[in-house]
Amino acid sequence: MDEEPERAKRWEGGYERTWEVLKEDESGSLKATVEDILFQAKRKRVFEGHGQVRLGMMRHLFVIIDSSRSMEDQDLKPNRLTSTLKLMEFFVEEYFDQNPISQIGIITTKNKRAEKLTDLAGNPKKHLAALKKVVDSTCVGEPSLYNSLNVAMQTLKHMPAHTSKEILVIFSSLTTCDPANIYELIKTLNALKIRVSVIGLSAEVRVCTILTRETGGSYNVILDESHFKELLMLHVKPPPASSSSECSLIRMGFPQHVIASMSDQDAKPSFSMSHLDSTGEPGLTLGGYYCPQCRAKYTELPVECKVCGLTLVSAPHLARSFHHLFPLEAFQETPLEEYEGERFCEACQGELKDKSVFTCLACKKVFCVECDLFIHDTLHCCPGCMQTDRTS
Amino acid sequence: MLELKRTLDAKGHGVLEMPSGTGKTISLLSLIVAYHKAYPLEVTKLVYCSRTVPEIEKVVEELRKLMDYYAKQTGAKNDFLALALSSRKNLCIHPEVSSLRFGKEVDGKCHSLTASYIRAQHHSNPSQPVCQFYEQFDAVGRQVPIPPGIYNLDDLKDFGRRKGWCPYFLSRYAILHANIVVYSYHYLLDPKIADLVSKELTKKSVVVFDEAHNIDNVCIDSMSVNITRRTLDRCQTNVETLQNTISRIKETDAAKLREYRRLVEGLKEANVARETDMYLSNPVLPDEILQEAVPGSIRTAEHFVGFIKHFLEYLKARLRIHHVVQESAPQFLKDIYEKVCIDRKPLRFCAERLRSLLRTLEIADIADFSAITLISHFATLVSTYSKGFTIIIEPFEDRTPTIANPVLHFSCMDPSIAIKPVFGRFQSVIITSGTLSPLDIYPRILDFRPVTTASFTMTLARTCLCPLIVGRGNDQVAMTSKFETREDFAVIRNYGNLLLEMSAIVPDGIVAFFTSYIYMENIVASWYEQGILENIQRNKLIFIETQDAAETSMALEKYQEACENGRGAILLSVARGKVSEGIDFVHHFGRAVIMFGVPYVYTQSRILKARLEYLRDQFQIRENYFLTFDAMRHVAQCVGRAIQGKTDYGLMIFADKRYARADKRGKLPRWIQEHLTDGSLNLTIDETVQLAKYFLRQMAQPFRQEDQLGLSLLTLEQLQSEDMLQKIAQIAQQA
Repeated sequence: MDEEPERAKRWEGGYERTWEVLKEDESGSLKATVEDILFQAKRKRVFEGHGQVRLGMMRHLFVIIDSSRSMEDQDLKPNRLTSTLKLMEFFVEEYFDQNPISQIGIITTKNKRAEKLTDLAGNPKKHLAALKKVVDSTCVGEPSLYNSLNVAMQTLKHMPAHTSKEILVIFSSLTTCDPANIYELIKTLNALKIRVSVIGLSAEVRVCTILTRETGGSYNVILDESHFKELLMLHVKPPPASSSSECSLIRMGFPQHVIASMSDQDAKPSFSMSHLDSTGEPGLTLGGYYCPQCRAKYTELPVECKVCGLTLVSAPHLARSFHHLFPLEAFQETPLEEYEGERFCEACQGELKDKSVFTCLACKKVFCVECDLFIHDTLHCCPGCMQTDRTS
Repeated sequence: MLELKRTLDAKGHGVLEMPSGTGKTISLLSLIVAYHKAYPLEVTKLVYCSRTVPEIEKVVEELRKLMDYYAKQTGAKNDFLALALSSRKNLCIHPEVSSLRFGKEVDGKCHSLTASYIRAQHHSNPSQPVCQFYEQFDAVGRQVPIPPGIYNLDDLKDFGRRKGWCPYFLSRYAILHANIVVYSYHYLLDPKIADLVSKELTKKSVVVFDEAHNIDNVCIDSMSVNITRRTLDRCQTNVETLQNTISRIKETDAAKLREYRRLVEGLKEANVARETDMYLSNPVLPDEILQEAVPGSIRTAEHFVGFIKHFLEYLKARLRIHHVVQESAPQFLKDIYEKVCIDRKPLRFCAERLRSLLRTLEIADIADFSAITLISHFATLVSTYSKGFTIIIEPFEDRTPTIANPVLHFSCMDPSIAIKPVFGRFQSVIITSGTLSPLDIYPRILDFRPVTTASFTMTLARTCLCPLIVGRGNDQVAMTSKFETREDFAVIRNYGNLLLEMSAIVPDGIVAFFTSYIYMENIVASWYEQGILENIQRNKLIFIETQDAAETSMALEKYQEACENGRGAILLSVARGKVSEGIDFVHHFGRAVIMFGVPYVYTQSRILKARLEYLRDQFQIRENYFLTFDAMRHVAQCVGRAIQGKTDYGLMIFADKRYARADKRGKLPRWIQEHLTDGSLNLTIDETVQLAKYFLRQMAQPFRQEDQLGLSLLTLEQLQSEDMLQKIAQIAQQA
């Protein structure tokens, strides 16, 4: 019962102009122009992503989640923290889906301290479990940008140079409580080639602007929940690898999945190596992946072998990250008026209503904006071309 | 630009309002320079007056860019000479003198090294110290013109060091043949300085007063004199020193005191010069005086000193009062005639006579004689002008009615007196600022007829300013700084809540303005008691502007540091204070400006009352109209601090329900009014917070230069395209 007053009732909450979202635009007012700019930005993203650039396939990403007092704000439903964590779960899944051989770690910051929630690891389940636990924690005090960046940096700086080292900060507060000059830290981060990106939940803060500009990251502030999600998803896609990052051959193991049924008398249940350090209950399993070098057993891939340090992946994983190397070329944009032909999108079969249509340069099929984004962000291959390939 | 060209063509005066950061300076400079290049005979010189030294430097930098562009485009060698001029303090390169801290000390020291008789003494006695830089300059500097180019203060110093010439005197000399001169207002408006520096500027100059929203006050200040008992005491010692010097000189060198001839004829010279329209006429010294000779009663030095003594005694007697006296200049003269038999005529010559005496007595350190100079100026002014001035003697200050501190205010009420010679003399005078609304009032109070008055707005790709008028708290209690409800607890609490809420949602810096120092102190004290201050401090640090300049600049520095490293800060300051006038809060230094209350001037002040009366009688401007105008121009100044250009953005929160009224709202500059919709009037705190949040999120979206293209930024092709030209013509028509 004591908890109740903490979470204010809806009617006790702040005054909100919920109708603003539905507001119709008459006269080139603020909303229209800003939205226009946003639309442009959306397109631009697609274009930017599709130059012939090398994308860093092996990523080491630390996500810093601000859980200071300001996260209790209810402008995201039910509050910022819950909303953020929910999106984060989605993000983690999506991240490993798109970057199977990358790793992620989570740091929270509150009360002027930074705390490592999960270490860098390639296993989504652990992160998801940790995220679920945080939901109930209370948000107190101020965040410390310096401390949390420092924690992330301590780990990232030991990562090999061919991987892309990134930090993503989800920053809700407008202040940060730092023990030392943050500009020094920014310099160090820059020297270590760590990219820091920030997603702001309330407004543009100067120090974040500088931080992202210096380290080559991006800085965005959310408009609402869907925009938040969109911004978060941007970070799923790997950033272009910096030209100075060294190229090297990486040894990888492709372990066979050994399936042993309970009925098989030879099979002995055994612990997985990854359970060594986890506090969770160590499950005895029969089958698993065995490292081709040292025969250590793991239940999940991808993982770095605890014994011999070999990166263990499965072939489908690698194939999935393959598209980053050969991205689909951007479609040509033409205004709707100029476009002559059937007004149906090739992909969704819907009518073309938007301002412009998009034509694939290879197969000359047309698509609507949404499908264009979907094709480039998710499918990574043009359905039109696929069709022609098959028929020919 | 179009308007400016019209003004120049008509050889008239103009009033232009343009928001800050929209290239006001550069467009003015480029057009006038172009005009000068096209018609070198029509416009020979540009005099650009700004307010502070950093502003002057900024103008010079803009000019340098312009000239570089000229050089790049035309390939021709630049033959322009443009320079900045400032006080000795900013220009001195003498190792000893320049280390002094106060402007007055530097002036005095410099004078003691460069005065003509000191140098004469130096000839006979080489141990007498002189300034070698000045000597160098005097020896060669005048013959050799300085090479064309753009010189800011540092460049001048460098140049001076290289050549070994005094940069101050060099630039003072060089403004005569420079094409562009950039300096402070005072060099034109203050009659005492204008006489020294600016009198030889040619008639065909274009004068630009930048940041001129306060020009009337500058004019008034330059013509007003305040005399306290301390001034009189110091004057007394001055007189004694004079007397001693006179008697000493008399013993040694009686011939020296024979300035009689000069006094009879001397002024004629000045008169001749003035008739030929060579000099900017000095309003302290009106024409009719020049036609007369110095009256006999004060021709000899002893008599003059005696005369001053009489006058001083009279003033002292007048200050020994217990009630407030207000009288006009003729009344004062009559009284002085009756009591101590001082006539009007000798009074008039006081200033001139004193200057001549000081010169004859070879007193080097003029700085010490500031008190007596002040008195003599007062004497001359009071006897010269019968209209437009008033004398108020107050036995105590308003704030401390128990402590006797008599002050004699001789205040000018008509700003046009000081500025009249400027308007009369130069062919075009342009008054410009970010905030000049309502435009019609400036020509009225400065008494001139402008050819053009125009207010421009910004063309924006996104609405980067968000004015909000907060009229009520969440408890629906009206928020206002009205006198009756000033002490009201609810009002103070609501103001506190407003600041608290804003501190939670606005990133980085917030600047809050109060109406006065006392009001700020009261409010902050009761916020402290109510615990509001503590809550605010959880979000942001708090800095307070005080009357102490050093303290304030320290606070400002820390404030900027806190904004820079993400801690966030609030600066509490006062409208009409130092912060509200000269300091810009670019980008993150000022994401929101909150104006608590309407900053009316202290209406009980007698000087103000007299001035209002005068305005009503002379210019038919109602008291209320002027008061509101004055308050609103300060408001506009304050809130304008946050927006410095198109990429910047900021909230402007007017926390007083009175702002919603049409008479207040209508006096804001057009570029603010434009964004003030009906939806943003008379809001409660909650509504404000929602709107502000929304606005800040919108503004935080990435904003690139390409987005502005075609809207507020044009490429050359776009500019030359047919429909764009039509659009521009349309805008110009409307303006």
